[in-house]
Amino acid sequence: MLSFLFGRQTGLDDPLRLKQAESTRRVLCLELNPDRNVERIHGNGINTIDIEVIEGRYMLSGGADGVVVIYDLENHSRNLQYTCKAVCTVGRSSRHVHKFSVETVQWYPHDTGMFTSSSFDKTMKVWDTETLKATSFYFCCLLLLYNCTVHSVPLNHLHCLSSVGTKNPKVQLCDLKSGSCIQVLQGHRGEVLSVRWSPRYEHILATASTDSSVRLWDVRRASGSLFTLNQFNEDLSKSSSEAANTAHNGRVNGLCFTSDGLFLLTTGTDDRMRLWETATGANTLVNYGKVVNESRKGLKFAVSRGCSPDFAFVPCGSSVAVYAVHSGKLVTMLRGHYSNVDCCVFHPDYQELYSGGKDSNILAWVPTPRTPDTEEEQGSKKGGSQAALNPAFEDAWSSDED
Amino acid sequence: MYCTAGHIGSRVSGVSWMDHAERERLSALVEELTTSGEPQLNPAKMKDVKKICKSSNDYIDHFYHLIMTQLAQEHAEIRFSALQMVSELFSRSHHFRMLLVSNFQGFLELTVETDPEQPLPPPREVARKLKILAIRLVQEWQSTYGQAYKKLALGYHFLKQVKKVDFHDVQARTQAERKRQEEKQKRLERLYKDKVTKATQEMEESSQEIQDCLTEMDSCLKLLKPPPMEFHLGDLEQTATTQTVQPAAPEHHGKTAGSSIDEEQPCCSKNLGNTLDADEDEEEEDSDMEEVAEEEAFIRHTGLISHKYSLDLDLSEGLNVKESDENEAVVNTMRDLHRLISTKHLPAVRSWVQVFTKAGVDQQLLRRALDLRTSLEVALQRHDELHIEYKKRERRVLKAASEGEEDEDDDDFEEVPEKEGFEPHIPDHLRAEYGLEPLTSSSLSSAPSSLPDHPKRSKRTVNEEEQDPTCAAATLRLLRDRFSSAELGSTGGSHGETTEVQSDERKKAPVIPFGLDLYYWGEDQPTAGKIIRSASQHQFWVPHEVEEEVENKELSAQAKSRFITFSGSFQPVKHKCKAPMPNGSLCERQDRVKCPFHGPIIPRDELGQPTNPEDAARLEQERMRRQEEQPDWRDPELMRDIEAATGEDLGSSKTFGKGKKGSKGKGKKRKYPNLTDLNQKANTSRSRLEKKVFDKSSMRRVTDAMNQLDKRKHEKFANQFNYALN
Repeated sequence: MLSFLFGRQTGLDDPLRLKQAESTRRVLCLELNPDRNVERIHGNGINTIDIEVIEGRYMLSGGADGVVVIYDLENHSRNLQYTCKAVCTVGRSSRHVHKFSVETVQWYPHDTGMFTSSSFDKTMKVWDTETLKATSFYFCCLLLLYNCTVHSVPLNHLHCLSSVGTKNPKVQLCDLKSGSCIQVLQGHRGEVLSVRWSPRYEHILATASTDSSVRLWDVRRASGSLFTLNQFNEDLSKSSSEAANTAHNGRVNGLCFTSDGLFLLTTGTDDRMRLWETATGANTLVNYGKVVNESRKGLKFAVSRGCSPDFAFVPCGSSVAVYAVHSGKLVTMLRGHYSNVDCCVFHPDYQELYSGGKDSNILAWVPTPRTPDTEEEQGSKKGGSQAALNPAFEDAWSSDED
Repeated sequence: MYCTAGHIGSRVSGVSWMDHAERERLSALVEELTTSGEPQLNPAKMKDVKKICKSSNDYIDHFYHLIMTQLAQEHAEIRFSALQMVSELFSRSHHFRMLLVSNFQGFLELTVETDPEQPLPPPREVARKLKILAIRLVQEWQSTYGQAYKKLALGYHFLKQVKKVDFHDVQARTQAERKRQEEKQKRLERLYKDKVTKATQEMEESSQEIQDCLTEMDSCLKLLKPPPMEFHLGDLEQTATTQTVQPAAPEHHGKTAGSSIDEEQPCCSKNLGNTLDADEDEEEEDSDMEEVAEEEAFIRHTGLISHKYSLDLDLSEGLNVKESDENEAVVNTMRDLHRLISTKHLPAVRSWVQVFTKAGVDQQLLRRALDLRTSLEVALQRHDELHIEYKKRERRVLKAASEGEEDEDDDDFEEVPEKEGFEPHIPDHLRAEYGLEPLTSSSLSSAPSSLPDHPKRSKRTVNEEEQDPTCAAATLRLLRDRFSSAELGSTGGSHGETTEVQSDERKKAPVIPFGLDLYYWGEDQPTAGKIIRSASQHQFWVPHEVEEEVENKELSAQAKSRFITFSGSFQPVKHKCKAPMPNGSLCERQDRVKCPFHGPIIPRDELGQPTNPEDAARLEQERMRRQEEQPDWRDPELMRDIEAATGEDLGSSKTFGKGKKGSKGKGKKRKYPNLTDLNQKANTSRSRLEKKVFDKSSMRRVTDAMNQLDKRKHEKFANQFNYALN
């Protein structure tokens, strides 16, 4: 740390380096923080969470009970102990609430005044944050919605498109301005479970489907997908058997671009995770080992931002597995949930991770503060200092055990 | 220098050796404690464990791993003991708390059954206890340490919110169980409601009837026994001849022990007499007796015993109403009513009351039902107070029946004296009915003398029966007549002796009704029982094998033999088994030969000890033998079953498991003998049946039989081509 600071001071290092090193360190020491709580609003499992990118202050969560909640993550109380308050809630009593489970929530990329949500009640709603009413238009999809995404690239001021993957194999692009479907992307032969916009190129869209294929699209080209990812890196695109291009051996239910948009991570129900180059569609053949994935719905996982080796946070049963993206090494398992974890989101500013699970908890994983480097003290008085911190940490041996 | 280094090295190695030994000891202790199968931990051993753990956190690490492995064992008793140890350590060591809380999900899965795919292992009863204890512990920990250990709090909330465990519910039921309970409750309520409506309806319908019945009873009672207000003492007749209370006879003369009471005596003075003591009264009576001679004249004049007299009336013991011709109708009605009330109305009302109290209906209905019940009971009580004697009537009826007179009563059936079971002497005319051979003439003659009760009747009936040609008695008579005539004819013959022998034999010979066997008596029957089949009449169509003659075994046997149905009289068993029972009494079973519990019945004395010495010896021997082998009710398998079901320790494994193994000498010794055996199959009726039904040999037998059936069908139609083909 000191050497980095020195390097930064003397100008020997790239300014980014210190930041990367520190954020990597912080990510590596993520753990469940007893001081950070998130208020329990949801009575059921939490399907999706999203943190807005403008301030990084508000978090949206959508639950299986159809409730959507906005939390304030910022701690202004000057206390270590902090419970993230629910700023506003679209509860069951609200007129506009989703009837069924909310599958995705997403902030509007440019503004916290608006967010979208999609649900199993076959609707995608666009909400006004101020009034918490579904704004006058909402897109009514007649099909069961599996996933919808408003593209979340702040660079892109040009189009406000949201792509909707549904039970129907066709991917629809909706214009938020009019609320109408402006384009249909055809090519998949199964339900589309996950859709992501590339953070690097505003027109590139990746879709994952139950037909175990992953397609990349350029939305400007209506004729078809750019290419289909092939797990064996075979060059089949020329031949007619494009159908044989599979990314996984099971359903593909998770998609995530790395922060720079150069790589794409996919997870499938074959308990594998794969890393692809978005430029060529080649499988990088990174081996992550077994990534348990039993979800029948889309899986929302996250990739860290601003770390020198990037990390992927993948829900894995009742824990969150942290993988090094490029080496495929399992860094750690974050255990804290008591039931399946459905989603997790990375807070890029504070290197915090929020995860939501079926046990209706949103857990905040916060980097542990650096302990004082004075080693001799650390060794001997650790228990004592802890005990001083909290009386519950004391040992309570009765004298007759001697 | 060198030396000190060596010294240090040896010390270090000594420490590590110590450490290793301690670890071993800890492992052994944990294993012992968890596999003890006891509901409580052994405090001494637990203390050792705590002592070891206190010395260093490393031991706690080791202990934690040991405990987690034990918790993962597929045996609820192991888990239960392990959980108890966890609770001991959790409250003591922060390090242990950290370790456990870090894997709290796993802990909950193993103890509270949070994962439906990982149910708690058997035995079920212990698993239930385990769950309850775990939930209680989690709650305790949460209240003490919840603030400090975040995951603990999360786990508590998870149980509370997601699994909906009610921590205040003692039963530690999950939501599903509670729901089931509620449904059951609801069903019960519905049932009760139905019952209540039904009962109310019934009550509405029959309350009028009951009221009528009650009023009728009441008036009957009034007729038989007037209420106290209407009583005039003079009405009572205290003589032995009194049979009924005459309610409406005010001018009747009361008589007490030969002395007459003046009728004009005012009632109040008589009542005064009631208050006198019995002793006094007796004394007075004595004195009266002495004075009789002297005062006879006076008495004759006045008709009084003395100038002062008292009358003692004892009304307390109730009245004895005897049935007589005058009050017969009333008493009959009374009896009918009594029967009606006690068999129909009262049970019905009682059941209503029961239903109403159980269902908790409004007070009105319940009160009505209770009123009805009390009034019915009062009526019954009053009836009982009357002590109506019906006996006389019955006797009279009997007499009438025996005399063969027309019964005035509407009883259609003759009442016969009950038979005392076994009849040592069967009346002659009944012998045929009993299927016994008629007695020879000598016994015939003796029979009436031994039966003086029915001389007239038996004779008459015999005569009647003899008139009936279908009766065996008639045949007997016919034969007797013939024999006698033959005897008469042959007396003068030269073969006097032979005829005598013959007649003797004939006398002894049984008389049986005519049958086929008699028809063929002594003959060789060539055709009997044979069925001759004529050959096929058809020109071409000949069955492929024709047996000309088929011998019917049954038929031929019938021609040679005879069935005699034996229907002897039932002879009730007089003796009892009288073997001593464990509860101190004697066996009350009355088996003829052998008691199913105590073997052949032998004479025993009052204490149940066999009287014959050889019997005693034999019993002693048997007892010894039984003691050697396991008594079957203490079968360890069965006991283990019961233990598994109830969760209580009957001590099967300790006392008997070992003994059995010793005696059998086979079977691998179980690793942890104190735990309930899970591998052992449940000894249910189903499993026993399965064992029998799916037995290899029985299966084979059944298949054989079925094949046979199948084949027979084919054989039957073998000569018809369309059947023969398939």
